[in-house]
Formats: sequence, C-alpha cells, structure tokens
Amino acid sequence: MTQQNNEQCTKAVGNADEINELLRRYGVKFGIYKNGVFNEQFFPFDPIPRVIPAEDFKSIEKGLVQRVNALNEFLFDIYHEKKIVRDGIIPEDFIYISKGYLAQCEGITPKNKVYSHISGIDLVQAKDGEWYILEDNLRIPSGASYPLIARELTRIAAPQAFQENDIVDNRNYAKLLKETMENANCGGIRAILTPGRYNAAYFEHSYLAEHTGSVLVQNDELFVEDNILYHRTYSGGKTRIGVLYRRIADEYLDPLNFLPESLIGIPNLMEVYRSGNVGIINAPGNGVADDKGIYYFVPKMIKYYLDEEPILHNAPTYLPFYEDDMKYVLDNLEKLVIKDVAEAGGYGVVFGNDLTKEKLEEFRRTIIICRFSTTAKR
Amino acid sequence: MGTISLEHSDRLYWLGRYTERVFTTLKTLQKLYDRTIDNRSGYAEYLGYFGLSDSYGSNRDFFRSFLYDSTNPNSVAYSLERAYDNGIVLREEISTETLSFLQLAKDTLAKSEMSENTRLSLLPLVDQLYAFWGCIADNVYDEEKKNIIYCGKTVERLDLYMRTGYSYKLVKKEFGRLCKRLKNVPENTPFCCNSQYFGEIEDIVGSAEKYSSESSTALVDLEHLFEPMGAAV
Repeated sequence: MTQQNNEQCTKAVGNADEINELLRRYGVKFGIYKNGVFNEQFFPFDPIPRVIPAEDFKSIEKGLVQRVNALNEFLFDIYHEKKIVRDGIIPEDFIYISKGYLAQCEGITPKNKVYSHISGIDLVQAKDGEWYILEDNLRIPSGASYPLIARELTRIAAPQAFQENDIVDNRNYAKLLKETMENANCGGIRAILTPGRYNAAYFEHSYLAEHTGSVLVQNDELFVEDNILYHRTYSGGKTRIGVLYRRIADEYLDPLNFLPESLIGIPNLMEVYRSGNVGIINAPGNGVADDKGIYYFVPKMIKYYLDEEPILHNAPTYLPFYEDDMKYVLDNLEKLVIKDVAEAGGYGVVFGNDLTKEKLEEFRRTIIICRFSTTAKR
Repeated sequence: MGTISLEHSDRLYWLGRYTERVFTTLKTLQKLYDRTIDNRSGYAEYLGYFGLSDSYGSNRDFFRSFLYDSTNPNSVAYSLERAYDNGIVLREEISTETLSFLQLAKDTLAKSEMSENTRLSLLPLVDQLYAFWGCIADNVYDEEKKNIIYCGKTVERLDLYMRTGYSYKLVKKEFGRLCKRLKNVPENTPFCCNSQYFGEIEDIVGSAEKYSSESSTALVDLEHLFEPMGAAV
C-alpha cells in the first residue's frame, strides 16, 4: 500500500462512526439465533479498505471468468453425458458421494445453459502477493448487498477517499443482477424467494428486491398450476413468475422432489423448472461443483473443457484419495487445514496446529478411513 | 411490479394504521401535556377514551407509560415498533429511504426518554413522521399499494379522532378523505368496504347532531368496515 493510500485509509477510518451511524439509519442488519432466540443486530462496518490494484483486479477478473465458465461446463456435463468422468479426469466416486449432486437434476438444461448465475469464489492473497482460490460457492452465495450499501454510505461520509483516489465503482451490482435475472427469465415477473423475516440475510433479500425491482416472495404466496409458477395476488388472481432468485437451499426447494418435511418450499417447482417454464437462480444441483472434493479438480476442468491453462490457482490442496497426497497429509497433518468435503459455510474445518498429539492420531485414522471425504490445504 | 400478495396488502394497511397511531397519539399527548402545565392533571379523561382505569397516580408516570413503555399497547413506543415491524417486510415496496425515517423516529423516541424536556425532544419525531409520509408519496409509484397505506392511515385517524373527542368538523373532513380512498380500492380485494357499515357511518357523520349522539356507533362500524358483506357484528 502506498503512502497516499495509507493516508486515505486513515481518512476513511476517521469517518467510521458516521458510516456506522448511516448503516444504522438505513436498517442494515443481520439476524442471529442464540439459544433459540432470534436477535437482530446492526451490521458493524470497518472502513479500512482492502486495496486491490487495477492490474491485479484485471487478472483476477479474467481468472474468475475462466473458472466459472469451466464450472458451468462441468455442471452441464455432469447432469448430461458425464464425459469428464468417462474420460477419467474426475473419479466418479467424487460425483456420486457429493451431497450436492442431485439425481433430480439429471437432463435439465437451464436457459442459456447457465447454471451458476451468481458465483462466490473465495480468494486469498499469499505473502508473495499471489492470489489463490480458496473455495467456490455456487449454491446461494450471499453478502453482495452489504458492500453495495456500505459503498453508497461511505461515499456520503468520506467523499474525500473517492475524490482523491481512482476507485472502481461497485454500485452497478443491482443492475447486473437484474440483467442476469432477465437472461434467465422464461416469461413472467422477477421474484426473489426468501425464507422470511427471521432469516439471517433478510435485509439482503429485501434490499436486492428493492434495487432490482423484483417482487420479494415467500413460498406460501406461490403455487404451481398447469406446470407454471404463479404469485397469488390479494384479489384472488395470479401473476406468472418467469425467474425465481431463490435464497433457500436446494433440499428445501420442493417438498415433492427433495425433503418432504420442508415447510418453505414450493410443491412441483422442479417440474416447472424441468419444463423450462421458470428460471431458477442459481440452478438446483450446483452443489456438486462447489464441493470441496471437486475443488481439487477445477484446474483440470479448465484444461479439459476450455483447453486453457488456469489463470488463478487453487491453494495447495491434498486429496487423500491419491496415495502420494495421503502420505503427505499423514506426515504433515499438524501443518495443514483439514476439511470435510461434505460440509460448507465454515463447518467441518479443522486446523492441524490446534490439535493435541492424541487428536492428531485420531484424525490420521479418520482420514485413512474417509479418504474420499477429506481434503487438506496448506 | 404490480402484484400484491394478501400478506403484503395486510402489512401495507397496518403500516399506515400504526404510523398514523404514533402521529395522532403523539399529537394528542402533546396537547394533554400542555394542559397539565397549568392544571397538573387531566389524563383521566384520556384513559376514559380507551376504557382504561387509572393505575398511574401521577402525570409523570402516565406520560412515561404512554410515550415510552413498549409493553403498553396504547403507547407511542408500542405503535412505533409495530409500524417498523410492518415496514421492514415492505422495504422493496416503500424503499429503504422511507423505512429509514421509522428507524430515525425509533432512535429519537429512545433518546427522548433520557431528556429533561420531553416535548422539545419529541419535536424531531414529528418531523420524521412527516418525512416518512413525504417519502411514501414520493417513492411508492404503485398507486394501488399507496392507496392501501393511505386507507390504513385514514381509518386510524378517523378512529382516534372519534375516540378522543376531536371536533366534528375535523372528523367530517377525515371521513371525506376516507371516501376518496375507498373509491380507488379495486374490486374483490380485502379493502373493498362493507356497504352496510359504510352507509351507517356516512349517515352518522352526515349530521353534527347525529354524530354527537351516535359517534360510538360510528366507531363500531369503522371497526367492521372491511368485513365481507353478511358477516355478523
């Protein structure tokens, strides 16, 4: 970071109270459950900027586009011919043991062949300045509204930081999202499906609905009739929904196709989707591509589908499925981060250096048994 | 985008009602507060409007409860919380900007509780409510949605005016407003009024004499205004 950048950071930090006051005014909140009780808190904002130079950003952008294109190709392939498995690039066990693989999605091709409309790819910068991919999130990546409104309010509270620096504007996200929704639209209105007021990310759902001009809906307002998804209106009428940006997980989406006990889903939604009568953002079944086991293979996917060299690399990762990797993991467990491939959202992550000698031994035994379901990162 | 669910229509209506309840309660309490400067009493009559007994004992305790006690269903704090609860699920309909004035009103009320000069500290709250209504007028482009909010607002105002002894002239004006709003309600929606109850209110509010003797009947009719035809009282 340059001297000038440092000064600008300091200026922005000086406005932290004002920015947080504005975030409070505009109701920027997130909900958490503690001991079964829902509590809503204002979103605390730390204005120290993470500076990414334009040149780095350009290459990151290129790398991310490449990665997401390959992941989209992979999803199409997995739910159709499975050529990547047939050609021996990815062992089939990794597809079928993945919780994210949904047999109900076999043969479905979403409009324009886009599966991952919104992709949350986690990046980390190493000490040498190199950027690495930490993980892919292709199911329901969340959080876009917070930087969006934070940028808006920071520009009010600390305009000098923007006047004196050439900062790329990120406020076109809502416009891009609206365009993305329209691209997936199969004829009808745009709707955002929320589990409801007491979901942790409810602010985001309502804020994005406001800024994309979409209708914010809950499942009890929706119904399927003649293979079309409708919004039930207060006059007893119905309005066709052409694209649904759902903010609920795959398994809860349709109780007739997934978890029958789901109270937040829409019966028969999958049939409407399968018939191409509604677009769903992101496509159901994407979990097979952001699985931590599959992550290991993404660089191979890029070569296989795009015939290109990966621009962004994975963080060094070991898959105990392979003998060499297994040996390395067992020998260096205390230096590694171990992940359960079936988990997401920070669950199932263990830091080797936090473990006692006994626990390390226990983990070694577990890894040998569960060689398909663990990965380790340096 | 011109599609309103039953749940949202209900929220829009109650957003209008509760926000108006905050405003008119505040206005009525301010007047009452002014009277107590000279008289040191007077809240008993106000309690009578709502059929409540006096469990307060002092002006101070009465005002603290009716302004700040969120467990008192007749307080400003309670109504403001309910208004916000309805508003928060309508962000995409009413806009973040509009909602921000309810948040500011909540903050002002909380600060006012610590203030030594209650009336002065509550003045910004009135400003914020006016700003809220300005934002509704400006930011809600869908006239159908806006009309539902205004129906709620006008029903609530009329209810409180009739209940707390506002002049006949003002009641009549508010009733005229309600008539205009009701004309814009689309058919087959929950806010189509029950013509039987509407007719009775119209009859009572039509004459000053009748109103002075039958305002309590008009209040009951108002409560049932949106009941489907044929529903019993």
